[in-house]
This record gives sequence, C-alpha cells and structure tokens, in this order.
Amino acid sequence: MNLPDSNILPAPLWLITSLHVITLSLHFVAMNFVLGGILIVLAGRFDRGWDNLAVRRFVALFSSATAATVTLGVAPLLFLQLVYPLQMYPASIVSAWFFLLVIPAVIMVYYLLYAASFAAKAGAPARGRYLWPALLGLLYVSLVYSSVFSMAEHPDLIRRLYAQGQEGFRWNPAVGDYAFRWLHMVLGALTVGGFFAGILGMEDTAVFSAGKKVFAYGMAAASVAGLAYLLSLGESLSALMRTPAIWGLTAGIVLSLGSLHLYFKRRFFFAGTALFASLLLMVITRHELRLLRLQGSFDPVSWRVAPQWAAFLIFLVSFAVAVLFVVYMLRLFFCNFRVRP
Amino acid sequence: MAYPFWDLQIGYGILLAVVAVLHVFISHFAIGGGLFLVVNEGAARKARDADRLAFLQRLSKLFALVTLVAGALTGVGIWFCIGLLAPAAVSVLIHNFVWMWAVEWTLFVVEITAAILYFYGWKHMAPADHMKIGWTYFWAAWLSLFVVNGIITFMLTPGAWLATGRLWDGFFNPTFWPSLVLRSSVCVMLAGLYALVVASRLNPGGSKARLVRQTAWWGICGLATALPSLYWYWKTIPPAVTAAALQGLPTPVTALHYSYWFAGIIAVLLVLFGLIAPGRLQMPVAAALLAAGLGWFGSFEWFRESVRKPYIIVDYMYGNGLEVADTESYRKEGYLSHIAYRSGNDGADLFRHACRSCHTTGGYKALKPAFDGTDRAFIAAIIKGAHLLKGNMPPFLGTASEADAIAAHIETGLDHRPMSSIYGLQGVELGQKVFQIRCGKCHPMGGRGDKTKSLAGLTREDHGNLLDSAAELGVGMPAFTGDQTEREALIEYFMTLKAGGGK
Repeated sequence: MNLPDSNILPAPLWLITSLHVITLSLHFVAMNFVLGGILIVLAGRFDRGWDNLAVRRFVALFSSATAATVTLGVAPLLFLQLVYPLQMYPASIVSAWFFLLVIPAVIMVYYLLYAASFAAKAGAPARGRYLWPALLGLLYVSLVYSSVFSMAEHPDLIRRLYAQGQEGFRWNPAVGDYAFRWLHMVLGALTVGGFFAGILGMEDTAVFSAGKKVFAYGMAAASVAGLAYLLSLGESLSALMRTPAIWGLTAGIVLSLGSLHLYFKRRFFFAGTALFASLLLMVITRHELRLLRLQGSFDPVSWRVAPQWAAFLIFLVSFAVAVLFVVYMLRLFFCNFRVRP
Repeated sequence: MAYPFWDLQIGYGILLAVVAVLHVFISHFAIGGGLFLVVNEGAARKARDADRLAFLQRLSKLFALVTLVAGALTGVGIWFCIGLLAPAAVSVLIHNFVWMWAVEWTLFVVEITAAILYFYGWKHMAPADHMKIGWTYFWAAWLSLFVVNGIITFMLTPGAWLATGRLWDGFFNPTFWPSLVLRSSVCVMLAGLYALVVASRLNPGGSKARLVRQTAWWGICGLATALPSLYWYWKTIPPAVTAAALQGLPTPVTALHYSYWFAGIIAVLLVLFGLIAPGRLQMPVAAALLAAGLGWFGSFEWFRESVRKPYIIVDYMYGNGLEVADTESYRKEGYLSHIAYRSGNDGADLFRHACRSCHTTGGYKALKPAFDGTDRAFIAAIIKGAHLLKGNMPPFLGTASEADAIAAHIETGLDHRPMSSIYGLQGVELGQKVFQIRCGKCHPMGGRGDKTKSLAGLTREDHGNLLDSAAELGVGMPAFTGDQTEREALIEYFMTLKAGGGK
C-alpha cells in the first residue's frame, strides 16, 4: 500500500527558519521582561515596598507577560520540531523528567506572579515570598532549556547518555557547553529588564536612573558572558568566524550599544527597535552555530519540500487578523480606560 | 525507531491520560465558559441585573485563573508528553499539520489577550466594549477548537488522506463534524458545571435560586446535545474499527458504559439541584457535578484513545510507533537494524520498541502475571502471533530471533515455578488458570476466538491429542509446553466445558 510520506517540510526551509527566528526573538522579549523584571524587583534597592512605581508596574504586568512568554514560546518550538525532530526529541527524551518538570514549574511561576499582583493590590507585605520562588522556577526552566537544546546539537552525546540509562534522568554533563550560554541569557534578560524598568518608570527620575544602570551594567556583564561563551566554543568558533553569521553578531553588538545610547537620550522607540534587532541577530547567530555543530550528522537541506501553500496562506491571513484584533482590543481597553467604582 | 525510548516506570497511558484529561476538561470549559460569560453578561446588562453581573465577575476570576494558567500550560504539557512518549507520531502530525497548528497559535494569541482584557476590564471598560472583547474571546477560542479538532480526529479516521496525502482530506476527515458538534456541546455543558461551583457559594436566598436555575440549563442543554452527537460520532467511525473494538477490546466498550453512568449522574443532579431545588445547591453537590463531568469527559477521551487500537494513527502508524508502510522492510531486516538508540541490551531495546508503549514487565499493564509459570518458547510464540491476541495488539514484524530475544528479556523477571505452586491451585481450578494463561490470550471465553463449542464433548484422549499437536492447529498457535500436572489439569478443565459455551 502506498501510504503518504510524512517526512516532508510543508514549506521551504528558509521560510520555516525565518518564522522560527522571528517568533523565538519575540518569545525572548517577553521572557526577558519577566525574568529580568523579577531580578530587578528583587535585587533593586527600592525601599517603598509595592508602592515603588517600577515595582508596581512590573508586578501588575508579570502575569500577562508570562502569558505572552508561554504563548510566544509555542511557535518557535513548533518550527524547531518541524525541522529538527531527530535532534530535539532524543535530547528531551534522555532528560525527560527534567524536561517535563518545566510544565509544573511554569504553572507554579504563573500562579506566584498572579498571587504577587493580588498581594500588591491588597498592600500585603513581603513581595519576596512570591517572587523568589518564581525566580527559582524560571531559572530552572531556562537551565533545562539550555541543557537540552545544547545536547540536541551533539547526537553522539545523546547516544552515550541513553546507553547509560533510559529512565529520562540524564542531565547534560557537558556543562561547559551551555553554562556560559545560560549565563549570557540570564544577564541578557537582566539587561532587557533594565530597559523596561526605565520605560515603566520614565516619569520617576530615580527609577529611570536605576533602569539606566541596570541596562548599562547588565549589557556589560552579558557581553563578558557572551564572550566567554564564544571562547568556550573551541573549533566551532573558528568555523563560525568563517560564516556571514559573524557579521550578524558584530552588527548585533553595535546595535546593542546604539540602543543603550538612544535609551540614555530617552528615544525609547528607536532604542527598543535597535535592541530587538540586536536580539534577532543574536538568535540568527545561535541558529548558524547549531547548523555548524550538526554538520556531518544532519543537514536540514536534506528534507524533501512539499509546500502546503493554501494552508500557509490561511496562517498568514489568520496571523494578520490576529495582530489586528490584538491592536483593536488593546485600543478598546486603553483608549476608554476609566476607573469605575 | 529513530528515537530513543523513555523507559517510564509508570505506564505511558497513565501519564498521558492524567495530563490530557485534565487539559481537555479545562480547555473545553475555556470555550464554553467564554460563551457563558458574554451571553449572560449581555442578558444581565439588558435586565440591569446587578446580582447576575456580580456573579459573572466572580466567575470570570475563576475562569481566568483556571484557563489562562492551568488550561494553557496543560496544553503545552500534552505537547511535551507526546513528544517524549510518541515522538514518531507527533512528528507525523507536525509535518502534516504544522500550518494548522500555526493558525491555532494565532487564535491562541487573540484568545489569551482577550481573556486577560476581559478579566481586567470589568471595572474599567464601557459595557459594550467589554462585551466586544468577550465575543472576540469566545470566537477565537471556538475556532481554536475547530482547528485542533481536525488534527485529533485525523488520528482515528484519517480517511481519504491515506490515499491522497492531501492536507484537507486529513483535516476534514469522516469524524470531523460529529466530533466538533460533540465537543462544542461538551463546552456548553462544562460551562454550566463550572459556573454552578461559583453559584453554589452564593448567599442563600436572594437571587441564588434564579442564578442556579439559569446556569443549570447550560449543563442540561450541553448534555442533551452531547449524547446524540456522541452517537453520530460513533456511527461515523468506520465499521471495521468499531467492529474490531467491539469484538476484541473491552476498554473502549467499558469506557462508553462508564460514560452512560456519568451522564445519568449529571442529569439527575442537574434536575434535582438545578431545576427542582436550586436554592439548596451547595458546594459538595456542585463539586460532585464537576467530578461527574470530568468522569464523563474522561470516559469519552478514554474511549477515543483506545478504540483506534492497534494504531496511534489508524492504518498509518501502530501504537508502538511503527509505520505500516515500513512493514515489509521490518519483515526483511528485523527491528534491531532500525533502532537508532541502543542501550547495549538487545532484548530490552526490542521489548521497548515492540511492547513497552503499552506494557511493562512488572508494573502498568504488566506481562509478568500473563506469563508467570510459562517458558521462553511459549512467550516467543505469543509475541510472534501478537496480532491474534485479544486487545487488538500491533503485529510483531521482527525476526524469529528478535522475538526470542524479547521472550528472554521478559522471562528474566518471571516466576519460574510450576503454576500449581505459583497459584496454589489443583484440578479444574488449576486447569482454568492454565487455560487463561496459555489459551485465553487468543481464545477468551465469550470473546473473539472462543473455541468452547469445538472443545465441548471431546474425550480426554481427543483433548490430549489436541494439546500434543497444538502448534499445528493454526498459524500462530504455540506448542503446549506446560508440565504434566498442568496438562492433566487443563484436560480436566476441558471436560467441564459445555457445547453451549462456557462451563
């Protein structure tokens, strides 16, 4: 019986990769807001409890930003699984329990952030009671993702770990491979959190000043971690230097610095655009690195492409309609916003 | 076999059922609840009914906290689970339906945004604007059901897709519409059941009785529509699938029977505490209704998952992840050469990929009780004839030596004493046990393959001859390899069989 072949890509590789890169960058923006925001609210020297402007606004937005983080995280993982199932599933299976625990961890974080926002409204003290466990939950999730996604680039390592045990308790032992990557991501989140702190508290000089400091120092620290990560790549670094991705990385660094400059000048829209572009370029660089590391074991170009253009068109239309509806609803909400008894 | 196998000590079915049933129970409420809120808000505003508005506002808090967090994340949880438990199947689904999932994602973005704004908008928005957001939420949520319904139903009834490979043939498959109507009805029913939990906490007197009665109608209408649509759904499943299920599978039939009981409980409680004495609805009754709703919907999902056995995607992929299209290559080359991730123990690897999706040796759906007291040759014969066993098992497509390796792996954990010692039985009772273990796997009494009629009335000598030549009686029949005590006990048992069937 000639059954349909499901080993196909339903769109050209470049299109799927582009969608993966764009949606992953959007996911990072929301995730950085939550993770960086929590770090700033906890570690920032805000001495007015919940009443501090930045704290109040961050806490009010955390639960919605978590919803955005989860929702925006679905699409890039979907596109990743589409092109790299033979890498992604094995890596998550050998670490299955750690990977699966991401779900209860995020549920816990989500409820803690809701609890924090209700507590803030009620004027209850001790914001750390909610935010410290939420921070730990998010750090766990990010560490698992760094570990699993790094492992996915090393099929031989997955085979070795699987031979050692099949119960899903294998943690990626190549810590050097992802520790700096993870640190760079956390410090990057802090940087973006600093950016948002300044925006949320732009009318308060002290808060804006704190936001500037976190943005600047966070960026410096993230750069050091990023450099350490690049140096830890070994042979992959020299290979990466020979691809156009290195120009993307350089442009990303320049755009980050440009964003900082514009932010200091309070030109927030351009600063935000530059920061997002820089994030996008970092994601592209990371994607190129994945391809380099998989060289010899897998080439995504080998997929047979059988486009489903009608379905893709429906997706495009629904995406455009979704954006319009979101804008429309936000306008309804904010333009006629009124405090009612 | 391109993926490693997660050797989960609890059953695959248990883990997936817990996450999936929880998710569908919340996600269907997320759709019906959205409709309930906005329809009732409209009616309440028109009637200037402040009590009803206050009730809806309380409900919307439960709604937001349950659906936005647990609902959304258990949905991601299912995705994670199936990726870990059945990566080959989920890969097939993603490669065929990625754009439909992407469409669902855009709807999800609208849904989440609308849910948040609706929840926070009660006090801050003009009523008309608030309701616009409520309607936007409902339609986005229902359309996401529309999209996912096409993918879920595809797994049971891929229909013309099997021949054409066209996306739309797979999406708008034979059970698409009845399933959509059924699930939409369930959404309405669950909206009523969840809302009754909030209504049960209203102060007695006042408007409680009125609000409970209005809410109960949602449950009754949803249930009344769900039952005929369930029948429609059943009728659109290909007869070959339903016939196989009725003949060889107790699970989906049992699940359907449970669903009747739960539906009955829901109907009785709704009529009693929703219509006849609505003022007396208290939290325990509302919780019981919700639990019965979970039971009813869980039974349906259990039915849907089990009725497609031995497949995970009917006629395309078996429950253990093997593609039907690769049957010939497995027959020629065996399984081992296809297993990409090896543990170093071939028997264990073969067991994982051939059997472990459903069975463990000593835990969930354990094989130990099924094989205690038997031997490797018998187990290997049973494996080779797996497709003949009760329960609609996938066929074993590997080589004879691979079946033997699996048998050796299973045998290591077995009790090797004679059955008379293991079970402490003698005579006819022992014979009945021997029959269950050695014969009943393919010839259950009253089920498919029942041979009672042909055994009844034969002499001891005839029975002895049958046992001696068992391996030659039909394809897949194992030789009788029990000891002399078991042989005599089995013949003793055969002698008690009557021509009309049974003992």
